[in-house]
Amino acid sequence: MSCGVEYLNTPVDTTAIGLAYGPNIPEFIATNPGLVDYIEVPFEQLRHAPHLSSLQEAIPVVLHCASMSVAGFVPPTEATLAAIKLEAERTRTPWIGEHLAFVNADGLHVDAETVAGPTALTYTVCPQMSEETVERVAANLAALQPHFAAPLILENSPQYFSIPGSTMPMVDFINAVSARSDVGLLLDLTHFLITMLNTGSDAAEEIGRLPLERVVEIHVSGLSVQSGVAWDDHATPAPAAVFDLLERVLERARPRALTVEYNWSPSFPQTILKSHLERVRRVVERV
Amino acid sequence: MKASRVHAVIAAGLEHPHLLARWQREPDLLRRCGVEPDALDLDALWKFAGLTAKVRHNGLRADLPLTFRLLHVAGLEIEVFAAYAAFRTAGGARYADTTAARAQDLSNFLEHWLDFTRREHALLWDVLRYELALARLSKLTAPVQLAAPAPGLTSAASLPARPRAASVPRVCGHISLHEMRCDPRQVAALLQEKSPRLADVTMGSRYFCYWRQGAAAELHILELDELGFYLLSLADGQHSVADLSRLIGGGSRPAKGLLTALGELASVGILAFTRTSEQVT
Repeated sequence: MSCGVEYLNTPVDTTAIGLAYGPNIPEFIATNPGLVDYIEVPFEQLRHAPHLSSLQEAIPVVLHCASMSVAGFVPPTEATLAAIKLEAERTRTPWIGEHLAFVNADGLHVDAETVAGPTALTYTVCPQMSEETVERVAANLAALQPHFAAPLILENSPQYFSIPGSTMPMVDFINAVSARSDVGLLLDLTHFLITMLNTGSDAAEEIGRLPLERVVEIHVSGLSVQSGVAWDDHATPAPAAVFDLLERVLERARPRALTVEYNWSPSFPQTILKSHLERVRRVVERV
Repeated sequence: MKASRVHAVIAAGLEHPHLLARWQREPDLLRRCGVEPDALDLDALWKFAGLTAKVRHNGLRADLPLTFRLLHVAGLEIEVFAAYAAFRTAGGARYADTTAARAQDLSNFLEHWLDFTRREHALLWDVLRYELALARLSKLTAPVQLAAPAPGLTSAASLPARPRAASVPRVCGHISLHEMRCDPRQVAALLQEKSPRLADVTMGSRYFCYWRQGAAAELHILELDELGFYLLSLADGQHSVADLSRLIGGGSRPAKGLLTALGELASVGILAFTRTSEQVT
């Protein structure tokens, strides 16, 4: 372990390999030196567990975020933005990955007796995919970006069901957001595959329609199919289809980073974690 | 449909899943909220609420790895957590702050929600209790004090392991007793496989005692017969062997089999005996 603080600073034409933070991940990194280049830490965990900032004494930190509700109509509080800014400056993250999703929503008057207050979810939700939302994302980005020195990049949501009022499929929505805003992408390949499975689309074909030149970072995780729906699952290894998508993306793009997200279960098999890290590194070096 | 209204409806449904059942029954309520009922798949939203509840319980995985693995293998994760999310919010209850309390809340819910005629539900209930028992016993930190004899009882220390009618059995250390429908250790071994075949688990009544004699002592899993199981459940340091005999339907004079069973439990160290002072004097 080195002294001081580490920052991610890889050459532009290479892809750094990282791990998403989970309770067992720091120990894994410590016992497997050189296997990963950075750790991706959610802002929300840094905010509520400041001791995690010590991770940066051992390995560079990339900041991830799920609090800005970029595709929503209720903005984050100034206190939240100030806290994100603080962590972004402290970690010197090269970018801030945020979900193309919403977490905040207006309250709801269900009937005379039932009023649901404004909602601040702990889980990001796929937004309505419409021109209205595209415009809102553009406006939100314009308002949010000046708060940070590091660029915001947007992560595609997993779509589990049809969102009422949507007028375009996920790929068109991402293209529309990219056309409207000069923003980089965090391409979560598992989210993408989940969306394609749940909407009956061809993932291999559709991924080629994305603006891959905008991809700054890639996420890889597992998925599980239960109750007739494909779900995000960071407790299971990525299926072969995700690695196939990775190869297709790398044929056209050179992201700065690739994060493996196996962080939901402390009993995730370390042999699989290690072999998948080695596998993604081989893929990014070969393609 | 305005995006902001759609988001508000989805968010309210996720935070208060019991609303989804209401919207199913009364679609006009949903329409008045600004969303056409036909456009929103309430069943899928219900399941998504299950995913979010599951993720909020990731902290339990350290103590309950087999339970979560079984939920995954049996394809029950979404179904279980969707029902649990609706149950919690219908009662206005928030999730507990500690993992131990969350685990207990989940266990309390499952005890009443699971359908034990379904094999995978029965296995889940047994595996959950197995892991909860081990987790609780392993976290005991304070040295276990042998309970002082109740008033009128002599000290336990030097009494022989062979019980008599006047002997008062009491448990040494901490135990957790569970009557199960399978051996969770067999399920645990199966769950290590890549594609576990839950149909291979042998079903049938089993009686387990999870036991830790003291904070420094290791955990023991004892498989008991029915008599031993009930004797341990009755050994409270208050009732004599004669009392126990009556409680299980015998007379005041304990049968030889009862004394033998108690003696065997004492020989492994899980029971010790005191005697009422009346008999001593």
